[in-house]
Amino acid sequence: MRMTATQRVDLWLRHATPIALTVLLAILSVVPIGVPGYATVVPAYTAMAAFYWAVFRPDLQPPFALFLVGVLQDILAATPLGMTALSLMVVHGLALSQRRAFLGKPFALAWLGFLLIHGLSALLIWLLASMLVLQPIGPEPAVFQYLVTVTLFPLVAWIFVRMHRYVVR
Amino acid sequence: MARRPGSFISVAQPVRSFWSRFAFALLLAGAFTLMLLGKADVLLVERFRTGVADVVAPVLEVLSRPAASVADTVAAMRRLRDLRVENERLRVDNGRLERWQHVARRLEAENKALRALNNFVSEPGTSFVTARVIADAGGAFVRSAMISAGADQGVRRGLAAVTGEGLVGGVVDVGQRHARVLLITDLNSQIPVVVERTRDPAVLAGDNTRLPRLVYLPQNAQVLAGDRIVTSGHGGVFPPGLPIGVVTSIVESTIKITPYVDWNRLEYVRLVDYGLGGVVKPSSGTPPFSLMGQDRAGRGSALKPDPQ
Repeated sequence: MRMTATQRVDLWLRHATPIALTVLLAILSVVPIGVPGYATVVPAYTAMAAFYWAVFRPDLQPPFALFLVGVLQDILAATPLGMTALSLMVVHGLALSQRRAFLGKPFALAWLGFLLIHGLSALLIWLLASMLVLQPIGPEPAVFQYLVTVTLFPLVAWIFVRMHRYVVR
Repeated sequence: MARRPGSFISVAQPVRSFWSRFAFALLLAGAFTLMLLGKADVLLVERFRTGVADVVAPVLEVLSRPAASVADTVAAMRRLRDLRVENERLRVDNGRLERWQHVARRLEAENKALRALNNFVSEPGTSFVTARVIADAGGAFVRSAMISAGADQGVRRGLAAVTGEGLVGGVVDVGQRHARVLLITDLNSQIPVVVERTRDPAVLAGDNTRLPRLVYLPQNAQVLAGDRIVTSGHGGVFPPGLPIGVVTSIVESTIKITPYVDWNRLEYVRLVDYGLGGVVKPSSGTPPFSLMGQDRAGRGSALKPDPQ
C-alpha cells in the first residue's frame, strides 16, 4: 500500500511522539515551579516515560534517542554527564526484557514492575553518584525522590495511556 | 507471515537482535565513559555542556515564566489575606529599623573618618547584573540554578550571586546566554566564612541538604545558636561581609546553618562583580569567557554601577 506524503508525515509525527514527550519531560523537570522543596524531590519523569514506552511501544523508543535525552537532562540538571542517561538505559533495558510480564495484565502489575525496576536504577545511580564524589551522599533526598516518583507514576502513566491511544495509536 | 527457510527475514532477525544488544551495551559503556570524562573536567565536554545549555536556555526561559506567574498569583492571594497582620508587623519592624538606620549612619560616618585617618585602601567599585532563575535543578545529587544571563551580559566565573536576603552561591559555568550558579547548599560548595560575633574563621560546607554545615572551626571557638555567619573574603572569591545565615543547631561537633535565602522563592538573583580575581580558575585551557574579560567595560551596558 502506498501512502501519500501527508499520511507519511502524519505517521512520522505520531511515531516521534514518545521521544518528543520524553524530551519535553526532561525539560519540564528542571523548570522552577515555586513549590517548597520541589527541586530536591523532582520526580524522575523521564524514567517513567522510559519504562512505559519500553513496555508498550519499544519500537518507538530507540535506545540511542533515549540516551541523548538522558544526556540532555544531565546537562540541564547539572548532574554528572551520563548519569541520567545510564539510569534511563537501565530502566529501558530491564523493562524491555520483562515486558511480557506486564503486557495485557492489570495496571497494578506494571506499577509494581516500575517500583522494582526504577528502584534498582535509583540505587545504582546513588552508588555511582557517591563514587563520583568519593563519599557517601546522604540517601534521604534520593529516597524521597524515589517515593515521589513511584507515587506519581499512575498519574503520569495515565497521560501516556491517553497519548498512546489517541496520538501514537 | 509464514517464514520460508532462507528468506531475508530469517537471516536478518538474529543479526538485528545481535546488533540491538551490541548497540545497547555500547550505549551503557558510552554513559560510563561520559561520566569519567565529566569527572576528569575535559574542556571539550565542558564546551559541549555549555553549548547545549545555551541552546536550551531560551526554551527554559519561556517555560519558566508561566510557572513563575502561577506561583506569583498564589503568593499574591496569600499576601492579600494576611494584609492587616503584615501591616502591623511592618510598622513595628519599621520603627526598629529606623533606630538601626541611625546607628548605621553614625557608624558609617565614624568608619569613613577612621579610614581617612588610616589611609585605608578601599575595595574596588562593584557592579552587578540581575538575572532570572530559569532552571532550578538538581534532583537528589546537585544543588544549582541556571540563570538567564551569560557572557553576553558580562557574567564571568566566580561572581557572587546574592538576593536581598543573602548569599545564594557562586557562578561556576558561563555560556553565551546562560550561567550556572552553584548554590551554597551543594555538596561541592565550600565557602570561607567567619562567625560575625566572635570573628572565628571557618568553612561553610554544603551537603545537599537545606542546612549547610560549619567545618574547620578553631578548637576553642564558642559558637552559639543564633550567631550570624558572613563571608570572610579569604581566598578572594567572595568579598568579606556578605550575609549567609544563622547558626540554628549545634549537635556535638555538627554546626548547622540556616541560610537567609528563601530557596522556594529564588526567582531573581543579583550577580555582583566586586572586581576580585578569585581563586576559581577554569579547569584547563582558555576559558570560553576570557574574550569578554578585557573589554567588558566597553560593551557592558548591562552592567550598571552599584548606586551605593
